[in-house]
Amino acid sequence: MTSRRVIPLRWPAVVAVAVVGVVGLVAFTWPFFVTGDFARDHGNDAPWLFALLLALLAVVCLAEVTAGRLDAKTIAVLGVAAAAGGALRLLSAGTAGLEPMFFVVIVAGCVLGPGVGFVSGALAVTVGALLTGGVGPWLPFQMICAGGIGLGAGLLPARPGRRSERWVVAAYALVTGLAYGVFMNLWFWPFLGTGAPTGMGFVPGASLGENLGHYALFYVTTSLGWDLPRGVLNAVLVLVAGPALLRDFRRGARRAAFGVPVVFEATDRPLQNAGGPR
Amino acid sequence: MAQQRARLQHPAAWWLWGLGLATAASRTTNPVVLLLVVGVCVVVVSERHDPATPNPLPAFLVIGGAVLAFRLVMTAVLGNGIVGDTVVVTLPRVPLPEWAANVRLGGAVTLEALLYAAYDALRLAAILACLGAANALASPRRLLRYLPSTLYDVGTAVVVGLTFAPQLLSDARDVRAARTLRGRDGRGLRETARLTVPVLETAFERSLGLAASMESRGYGRAVRTSTSSRRAATGLALAGLVGVLAGLYGLLDASAGGLLGLPVLVLGAVLAGSSLLVGASRDTRSGHRRDRWAWTETVTAAAGAVPATVLVVASVQGWDGVVPSQRAELPALPLLAVVAVLVATIPAWVTPRPREALS
Amino acid sequence: MITFDHVSVRYADAPSPSLHDVTLEIPEGELVLVVGPTGSGKSTLLRTVNGLVPHFSGGTLTGRVTVDGLDTAEHRPRDLATVVGLVEQNPTSTFVTDVVEDEVAYGMETMGLDPTTIRRRVEETLDLFGLTPLRGQSLRALSGGQQQRVAIAALFAAGPRVLVLDEPTSALDPVAAEEVLASLHRIVHDLGVTVVLAEHRLERVVHHADRVLLVDDGHVSELLEPADAMLRSQIYPPVVGLSRLVGWSPTPLSIRDARRRAASLRDALGASTPMAAAGRRLVGREQSVVLDGVRVSRGHRTVIDAIDLTVSRGSVTTLMGRNGAGKSTLLGAIAAQHRLAAGRVRLGAAATDPHATPARERVRTVGLVPQQPELLLYADTVAAECAAADADFGAASGTCRALLDRISGGIDPGTHPRDLSEGQRLALALAVILSGSPEVLLLDEPTRGLDYGAKKRLGEVLTGLAAGGTTVVLATHDVELAAEIADRVVILADGEVVTDGPAREVLASSPAFAPQVTKVLLPQTWLTVAEVAGALARIA
Repeated sequence: MTSRRVIPLRWPAVVAVAVVGVVGLVAFTWPFFVTGDFARDHGNDAPWLFALLLALLAVVCLAEVTAGRLDAKTIAVLGVAAAAGGALRLLSAGTAGLEPMFFVVIVAGCVLGPGVGFVSGALAVTVGALLTGGVGPWLPFQMICAGGIGLGAGLLPARPGRRSERWVVAAYALVTGLAYGVFMNLWFWPFLGTGAPTGMGFVPGASLGENLGHYALFYVTTSLGWDLPRGVLNAVLVLVAGPALLRDFRRGARRAAFGVPVVFEATDRPLQNAGGPR
Repeated sequence: MAQQRARLQHPAAWWLWGLGLATAASRTTNPVVLLLVVGVCVVVVSERHDPATPNPLPAFLVIGGAVLAFRLVMTAVLGNGIVGDTVVVTLPRVPLPEWAANVRLGGAVTLEALLYAAYDALRLAAILACLGAANALASPRRLLRYLPSTLYDVGTAVVVGLTFAPQLLSDARDVRAARTLRGRDGRGLRETARLTVPVLETAFERSLGLAASMESRGYGRAVRTSTSSRRAATGLALAGLVGVLAGLYGLLDASAGGLLGLPVLVLGAVLAGSSLLVGASRDTRSGHRRDRWAWTETVTAAAGAVPATVLVVASVQGWDGVVPSQRAELPALPLLAVVAVLVATIPAWVTPRPREALS
Repeated sequence: MITFDHVSVRYADAPSPSLHDVTLEIPEGELVLVVGPTGSGKSTLLRTVNGLVPHFSGGTLTGRVTVDGLDTAEHRPRDLATVVGLVEQNPTSTFVTDVVEDEVAYGMETMGLDPTTIRRRVEETLDLFGLTPLRGQSLRALSGGQQQRVAIAALFAAGPRVLVLDEPTSALDPVAAEEVLASLHRIVHDLGVTVVLAEHRLERVVHHADRVLLVDDGHVSELLEPADAMLRSQIYPPVVGLSRLVGWSPTPLSIRDARRRAASLRDALGASTPMAAAGRRLVGREQSVVLDGVRVSRGHRTVIDAIDLTVSRGSVTTLMGRNGAGKSTLLGAIAAQHRLAAGRVRLGAAATDPHATPARERVRTVGLVPQQPELLLYADTVAAECAAADADFGAASGTCRALLDRISGGIDPGTHPRDLSEGQRLALALAVILSGSPEVLLLDEPTRGLDYGAKKRLGEVLTGLAAGGTTVVLATHDVELAAEIADRVVILADGEVVTDGPAREVLASSPAFAPQVTKVLLPQTWLTVAEVAGALARIA
């Protein structure tokens, strides 16, 4: 499928995404494997440090994935995906995190490949934040998460048009809906410190197992109530609207004529091939 | 009648101000200082918010309030790590199974625990208020202009997204209204799913029109990029990312020499950041009605830097009252900190008024 | 200025080329009008000028296109932006910013001009297009004509020597269209810009043209004198139709020229009366639409104010008036799309209140084809759309398909509704709505983007429906369509009825809404070429 190479992932981009993924993972999970001293000394600064760092890395990563240049058609399609995600976020601003946004990002990733999935995920979050005036230190974390979700969707082993496709995508929506909550809560959990409810707080220096247990309890009591409906909503949306939306995006990509060769011929003999439409 | 556009403050000035105030708020849990920060935000926003743009501050204040309430309820029901002896009320304790033995459900609610939760949540609420104020005073979309050239395309996609999103919503309303013309009332999940088809089709058609228009209007001509600059940027970015990773490892794993961690991290970040500047270049002189940086911008940024500096110093030196006790008493008031926070209200009067109130 | 050297274009996957061997040369400073039916290759021709075809669309271009000496094979559209500007039919989808002044400056910013130049050119352009009072306004708040002027100004500001416009006035009311054309006229005459213009509504533009290109099925004529072109063209405005009927030579293109010739025709027609000519329907007394003090507010603004209106069963009524006069809102209020602030609406034989009837039953009483017919279309194929319509309206299976075949024969049922031409899309939406067999049929601007052929078919369908007892109410800017089919014309302004009466009286007496034939033959009140033809046949 030519449309899946709308934004080709070259090796530097793959490396950049991988490194940012690792840094992102560290940014979320550092409480589990640092020493007690470090956690006590820097527990309050770390979320801010990571927010700054990830903001920078997310932007660097976007620059690498897009290799600095996009053509107007790609920008337009990304704009639509970001707008759809942002609009859904605007609509759901009142419903405390029941964000059907991922659904659009997943579909975009599925149809247009991991590169577009990553960029449209990151941009959908950005557009949503700009529209709702919700720019804050959480934004880089969300960008990385949503970008990762879109990228993953692009790598799903779903065959276009198959009956199984919608179930694979729906399952992915459910899993990522939950995982997103697990990660997004992690970035401020250590921040709560002793303020967390008994037995659910971050204990500096405690064993990995103990802290994981605490966090699991914290997550189940405070967040699962929101994240589960979100995951289910996204999955149900994929099941109900997914096929139509997938067709829409495929048609959009086809209409945009990504990868359709542009040929100039002299009147009699072929003179030159001016390469792709870029 | 010619409608003149009034001068708006440089958006970066307001964001520096907001971030400075947020930094100040993050350094203290003194409720008086924190409430003062919220008050400063409200005053400045009500004085200098551009009435032509939406005001997200109230939403941020509501979220802050909700965080406060949620934390108090959670603390009352589940307790927290603070041991106190001033019991306010005792809730019935619910016995829990073995595996959740660490968790407490119900039981005595102490004033100390509640105060700790309240102070901590208030700090978060004050930070939220600062960010809300920055969002309200200078729409972050105005900052998009200042993205480095390498991100010119990505920034354009964001602008396109911002323009399309409200149109998508109004299209959705139209399509839903048109649904009734076919005898459907447009309710229910399946019906909603149906709406997506015409809405997205329209959006794609529009986006192609926009893309063609951008292409034929010379989009991106001012941005110059070459293979060599691209390679240099990629090299810098990868080196920077590896540096960041190494720095983080050093920082988090004390045995690997914590001292080296931070410099390597900073170096990596600088390298990665410079890749953004190297990747492409743009004629920076070009532009219509760019924001100017005048003395009011400097004052605004300084007014944010003052409380940030004072409170960082205060928390490092451990001034009285910066981190108050949880005892049932009025916390000590660090007078200098209060004055520093009040300095942040200065921009409310010295900066240019965004536009006359709509008559 | 623009040369085509044996140019053919074939899109990827297309069975046949969209342009065949075009060779022509457009000199500098000319206003060239491109005339042809929908799907003839007009848009492709226009888009080859700045290289959007094939750089943007994909496909194969054989031959050479050069603009101001630059070959489009070597220069991408963005590189040609300083040479060619392209204006689309719908300006809203081409706006990149949201304020008038920023939009005008945008092109120059992307080209990296220096700020003082940008500033100077912005001011000059705003003055030239009369946009200075609107400079700080949001683009969405402008009227259609103003938006189109901004779109042209934004391109013009970057200083191109060639402007290419694809149906710039199709969506505009006559007054707004005149504004846009006046701006174009000015830049051609005063500044020597070369303009290539495609437009369905020839009656608006043909007298502005210096040269005409006829396009048919991918074949393009050489540059023709407008009068010669109109003799050969299969599509032509009513004034040319009248000239062909009577045999004037050379063909007059403007009302003024035609009036000078028309004295003898007026004399010949003097004795006969138009009323008997075209066999207008006799309209029954039964009332099918009754509006009583209807008021509609949107936001804080009253859009429709205290309208009383009754419409007879089996008649065709057109609502006319400027953009924003409240035509669409009135139709929406009748179809219960907008809530009434006051008054009542009763429809059909049973005097149904549409606002108190659930949607499922309302569709039997009233059907509305909205301004964008695609809003009604949800399926992937025409066949699926028809099947869904049968299900939606509880009609016997195959109803919608049969209607569609009757309205517009020969639509491939496997086509995606969005890939249909505007005329076919309208036909499909109409077939969908008619599947509910409503007593009252409302159409909002149905002729947008239709060529003369599609418009003629629409007129026949609507008069046929009216003859069968359906009450038809349509909002339109198209005076020629109104002249062809309307029994009655209602003119709205600022949400009030300002004129209401039989079509002939209203159209003939209004300077803005008089059809071309009427303007030529005033003080006699002939509306259409067919009427005149009928009268001449009877005299002979």
